[in-house]
Parts: sequence; structure tokens; C-alpha cells
Amino acid sequence: MTIQLKKFGTTLVSRPSGKEAWLAFQPSLNEISQDEEIVVDFDGVVVLTPSWADEFLTPLRKQFNDRVKLHNKDNPSVIATLAILDK
Amino acid sequence: MQNKLISIGKTAKILGVSIDTLRRWDLAGRLQPTRSGPRGHRFYLQSDIEQFLQDIDAIAKQWAQSPQAFEPKSEMYCQTRDVFQARLEQFQSKLGRISSLPTVSLITAIAGEIGNNSFDHNLGNWPDIPGIFFFFDIRSRKVVLADRGQGILTTLKRVRPELSGADEALKVAFTETISGRYPETRGNGLKFVRSIIITNPFTLYFQTGDAYLNLKEYDKDINVQQAEVSLKGCFASIGFEGLI
Repeated sequence: MTIQLKKFGTTLVSRPSGKEAWLAFQPSLNEISQDEEIVVDFDGVVVLTPSWADEFLTPLRKQFNDRVKLHNKDNPSVIATLAILDK
Repeated sequence: MQNKLISIGKTAKILGVSIDTLRRWDLAGRLQPTRSGPRGHRFYLQSDIEQFLQDIDAIAKQWAQSPQAFEPKSEMYCQTRDVFQARLEQFQSKLGRISSLPTVSLITAIAGEIGNNSFDHNLGNWPDIPGIFFFFDIRSRKVVLADRGQGILTTLKRVRPELSGADEALKVAFTETISGRYPETRGNGLKFVRSIIITNPFTLYFQTGDAYLNLKEYDKDINVQQAEVSLKGCFASIGFEGLI
């Protein structure tokens, strides 16, 4: 499964909107098969902050661990956000 | 050069506001034009515009410091997070016209994180005026945010009762991952802000209570200083001249 983050918006900054995205995506996550890889695609995202990512990426990684792969993460705010979350 | 006359349309672009806003500011005596030509069109002195731009910091600080609670001008006031998100995206779009994607992405992320922090930490607990002051000036490469919230000391004291002053709290907020929203484990917003400022040609002035700090590219240490006038909540001024 590929999650296109830009479908949640291109300026992903607040906690409530991250949380809302996480909740809204639950039905799709429930359909994932046991060993399926989950690709998070950052293509098209212009702004990302740790607040948003912490409400979406953190629980996603907690639930699916190594099955979560991050693609197109070359946007500067995406790089800075991931660096902070990974600390 | 200093006293060149600038049309209302161009002035609106420079200040990042609409022509209607400038008309309102004229009526309110906030920024007054000189009338020129047979139809009395509004023109602005360049020196007045420059002066006004320098005042954004002062306006925001004064609002955050004032013992009397009052709402900022509507153009500078985001009472709710939705309004802030909309204005932030507006800022992002305007910045995108004159600067590179890395600048747009990083500056918007910093401003978004600081502004949203204010809402996160004060939701349901605003001492008087809810929401934040948010104003940007593309021309002088500056974004200013402020709130009249509880301030970092009050927020962090819940998880670090030993903190005794705004200076200690400010340092902790910029250097340690700690959340004032225990039991949540988050709390890295200002570390994120710091990581971006010190690796890019940006500057940051940040004050909470009577403690402030200045950060710029290549800074390794956090140097918290005592402010002359204390303010409620937080005040941040971000400069981004370097990366345009």
C-alpha cells in the first residue's frame, strides 16, 4: 500500500490535522494484509512539521515497524522533521 | 529615494495586505498616505512604509506585554488554528513567488510549528485573549508570531517542577525533548526550530516571560538573556534575508 501524503494536504503542520489524518486513514490501514509493505510517499508535500508527523508517522511506525518505508523524502522540511523524530 | 511616492497597489504588495486593508488602516490612522493627483489617489511615502515595517516587531511585542488585554488588528490576529492555517498558507504562497522551495518549506515549517505550539499549549487555558498574533512582511523578510498564553515556564513546570525561571524553561525547551503535555511524550517543536535556524541563513529572536534568546546560522550554544520588559506567553521574530 502507498500512502500519498499530499492527499492530506501540502502544508502539513498542526497536531489536530495530523491526528485527523491518522483517524481518517484507519479503515484503509485495517485492510492491509499481514506482510504488506506500507510506503509513505512525501511527493508533493511542501511543508511538514514534527507536530503533524508525530500524530501520523509516529503511530504508523509504532504499529507497523519496519514495514513502513519512506519515499520521496527530499523536501527540506521533511528531512528536518524526520531527523527530529528519529532522535 | 527615501521619500519616493508609492501607489496604494504597490504598497499593498510590499506589506502583503489588500488595498481594502490599507484603506481601513488609513481611516484608523494606522498608516496614512499622502493624497496626490486630481482624484486624490492614495500614495505612500517610502519612508513611512519602511518605518511601518520596522514596527511589526514592536506592535506584536507591545500586544504581548500589555497589562490590558485587547485583540490585535484583525489582519494580524488568528483567533483559531483554522485562521492561522489559512494565513500560513497565504504566506507560503507569497513567499513562493520570490524565493526558492527550500526557503518556503523551512520558513513556513518554523512559523507553523511556533504558531501551532501556542495553540497546543494553551487550548482551553488562555489567560485572556485566545489565539495568536501572526504577521509577515515579505519585503523585509520577517515573520512575527506572539501569544498571550501561559508561557513556557508554566507549561514545562508541570513536568519539571524544579524549574524556577523563564530562563531555565526557555533553555530546556530549545535543548531537551520534553513535553508540557504529559503524559504525551512529544515536545520537540522548538528543537526542530533550532535545528533549522542554525543550519540556514535565518535568524530567530524568541522571548517568553522575561527571558529571551537570539539564534542564527552556525550557532552552537543557547544563550538565554534577561529581557528588560517581561511579556505574557511567547514572542518570536523570524528573519530570512539570507536564502532568498
